Amino acid sequence: MVLIYALRGFIKSFLVVLLWSNCEGRESEFNYVTCGSLVKLLNTRHNVRLHSHDVKYGSGSGQQSVTGVESADDANSYWRIRGKPNGTCQRGVPIQCGQAIRITHMTTGRNLHTHHFSSPLSNNQEVSAFGENGEGDDLDVWRVQCDGSIWERDKMVRFKHVGTDAFLSVTGEQYGNPIRGQREVHGMGTANHNNYWKAMEGVFIQPSQEPLRHHHEEL
Amino acid sequence: MAVKGMNLWSVCCLVLYFVAAVLAGRDFYKILGVSKSASVRDIKKAYRKLALQLHPDRNPDDPTAADKFADLGSAYEVLSDEGKRKQYDAYGEDGLKEGHHGSHSDIFSSFFGDFGFTFGGNRQGQQDRNIPRGNDIVLDLEVTLEEVYSGNFVEVVRNKPVAKEAPGKRKCNCRQEMRTTQLGPGRFQMSQEVVCDECPNIKLVNEERTLEVEIEQGVRDETEYPFIGEGEPHIDGEPGDLRFRIKVMKHPVFERRGDDLYTNVTISLVEALVGFEMDITHLDGHKVHIVRDKITKPGARLWKKGEGLPNFDNNNIRGSLIVSFDVEFPEIQLNDNQKEGVRGILKQASVQKVYNGLQGY
Repeated sequence: MVLIYALRGFIKSFLVVLLWSNCEGRESEFNYVTCGSLVKLLNTRHNVRLHSHDVKYGSGSGQQSVTGVESADDANSYWRIRGKPNGTCQRGVPIQCGQAIRITHMTTGRNLHTHHFSSPLSNNQEVSAFGENGEGDDLDVWRVQCDGSIWERDKMVRFKHVGTDAFLSVTGEQYGNPIRGQREVHGMGTANHNNYWKAMEGVFIQPSQEPLRHHHEEL
Repeated sequence: MAVKGMNLWSVCCLVLYFVAAVLAGRDFYKILGVSKSASVRDIKKAYRKLALQLHPDRNPDDPTAADKFADLGSAYEVLSDEGKRKQYDAYGEDGLKEGHHGSHSDIFSSFFGDFGFTFGGNRQGQQDRNIPRGNDIVLDLEVTLEEVYSGNFVEVVRNKPVAKEAPGKRKCNCRQEMRTTQLGPGRFQMSQEVVCDECPNIKLVNEERTLEVEIEQGVRDETEYPFIGEGEPHIDGEPGDLRFRIKVMKHPVFERRGDDLYTNVTISLVEALVGFEMDITHLDGHKVHIVRDKITKPGARLWKKGEGLPNFDNNNIRGSLIVSFDVEFPEIQLNDNQKEGVRGILKQASVQKVYNGLQGY
């Protein structure tokens, strides 16, 4: 009798093993940054993430400051990738190299912005966060520069401002209190290794299928 | 004795065969409650709804809950994968030789987040108040009216920093304390000192997983779908949540008011007078047929019951489609003969009523 129970147990576990063997680690095959995604951007030269917060510049435009931070777990480092104003940017569609986008700060709803003001530490071009609820003005638009055709998550890209042609950069200057240790983020005219950024943590939206078209007959 | 043993043996064999047959052949379609032709989206929707009901934490008194939940997970895993589903359709459960890509809790958490049920799905644990939490992340998810009508699933890849144990110790719970030191007999000095505890060292490692967000039929604007534990980590506590906030986008043809849809149609003056027949293409492609054989006045409204959006709480109830008509006049000038003709056909006396049309507007 014991033998029968053992046999039943064996068959059951054999079937289970057959079904669940060969565990494959599922990789996400989709490696692009898409429209609507939330992302943290890492400056690869200085190892800081693009960041903003409810702290205004004490000089220049007096708008909300944008900095680079070392920590990797701050929700204030999340930015949303959106299309340019009045442009179409369909949810989940990968961003093309050369595409004009807006980069909106998640927690404050202000757009990454630059203009002809001097940055406080290095006298480069001040980069701020501007607007309300994701709506600012024409100086919120940046073009993604990358090799290839699509912005890939593991590739370094540059952000060139549409309007002033400045590149989003970090050169290492550090602030004192109240944002001690945070780096200055500014716009620079030349393309160099200071303006390389990479998409790190985030929520990357995949493209969806079109909702099903039903053709039901109504009697 | 031997004969009895043999009968017992054959009975046991029969039972064994039966058990094996039953084990080999679970009806995954029945477990999920979907038809054989169900789309992947139907399957995801069915899993999500049933997983909430059948989770063992929700059914502590049911001894079969864990099995039912496991069956549900297996059913989802096979039917949501094109290759596995084909094999299953052809050969049954026996014919499945490939492995799985995640445990049952993995499948569950891709729909609800890591701590979907540990705290009752709503963080209502007693220890809750004392544990520090990481930041929440809110993502505005733009959805089309077509998606609100038919429903949809959005797959997202969540790459997040996860707190992992590392060798060594670190300082935690640092606080200021007043220390009293004795300098001599009767002389004391109070000073502030930073005092820390020792905790296991933590490092942050990036991990990636796929989450499934459902755009439920009839979902209202600003509805939030939380994924517990998928937010930012906290070194000394637990991670915050990731919340998807639905933002329904404006549609070029339809306007939403609750469960009702509004649309406008411009017709010609001729059509307004003599009648017409037309189709309106709805959000899922089906046609709404409109026939008028009487005169249609500008501003007239046609009420089509059941052609609105599905109600969020009960998908079987639908709102109405309200069609408002406006009339486009022809760009012609009538000569005297035509003017006589029009007077003759319409036989309408002159009206010329003068009144204040802006009362209160």
